[in-house]
Amino acid sequence: MKIKAKLKNGVVNVKALAKHGMTTYNMMEKKTGNRDDANFITHISATVNGETVWDASTSQFLSKNPIFKFAFKGIGAKGDKVEMTWVDRKGNTKSGKGKIK
Amino acid sequence: MKRREFLNLTMGALALAVVPASVRAEDYRKSKPTVWSAKTVDDAMKALYGTSTIIEKGVKVKAPKVASNGGAVPVNFSADMPIKSIAVFQDANPEAAVVVYEATKYSVNKYAIKIKMAKSGTITVAALGQDGKVYGAKVTLDVALGGCEG
Repeated sequence: MKIKAKLKNGVVNVKALAKHGMTTYNMMEKKTGNRDDANFITHISATVNGETVWDASTSQFLSKNPIFKFAFKGIGAKGDKVEMTWVDRKGNTKSGKGKIK
Repeated sequence: MKRREFLNLTMGALALAVVPASVRAEDYRKSKPTVWSAKTVDDAMKALYGTSTIIEKGVKVKAPKVASNGGAVPVNFSADMPIKSIAVFQDANPEAAVVVYEATKYSVNKYAIKIKMAKSGTITVAALGQDGKVYGAKVTLDVALGGCEG
């Protein structure tokens, strides 16, 4: 995961890239004949200092290697870390960290 | 305060503090599975918010008029009012729901994401306000080259 976070006028803007194929049911049916092979991120969240600042439940219709942009305020100073974790349909998880600049 | 009551209170407070933040957030795929299998925007919205009528106010959604690549259509959306959650739907793919964001007390409700669209269609963004009303906005666009093969 690549995470970029920038503090400006009290608002932290985050840009995050999650590397994931995000395959849909129909795609996999064409490719392997098995709809159940589809795999995509189902839940992704971001925390700062242990507090959830952003939380998303997602479907197969996000683009491949989706980039998420979001913003938050009231928490996080320069140098704090934004931690993000995703879970996909097969149960894999991955986390990443990015420093607030 | 009686000793037992005091103990119960502290135990309760401790239990709350121990649960990590990520667990407290709602996973809409688990709590509302029908949202994700709904074929139409109306059905998906009913499953999520209990209504398919939206008040077209306060929510903005922006997407290109013509998307050259249906595999990654950029969508920007925002809400002016305090909200509980905000969701993106479209009518070009087999199922309607794309993403549901849960707002936190730190949220600045401005988001951008790239989505897949198999063909031209309409993107609907719906937000559940903290007043319990459902606000939203729609944008219709052409997709030149369909993404994700349906």
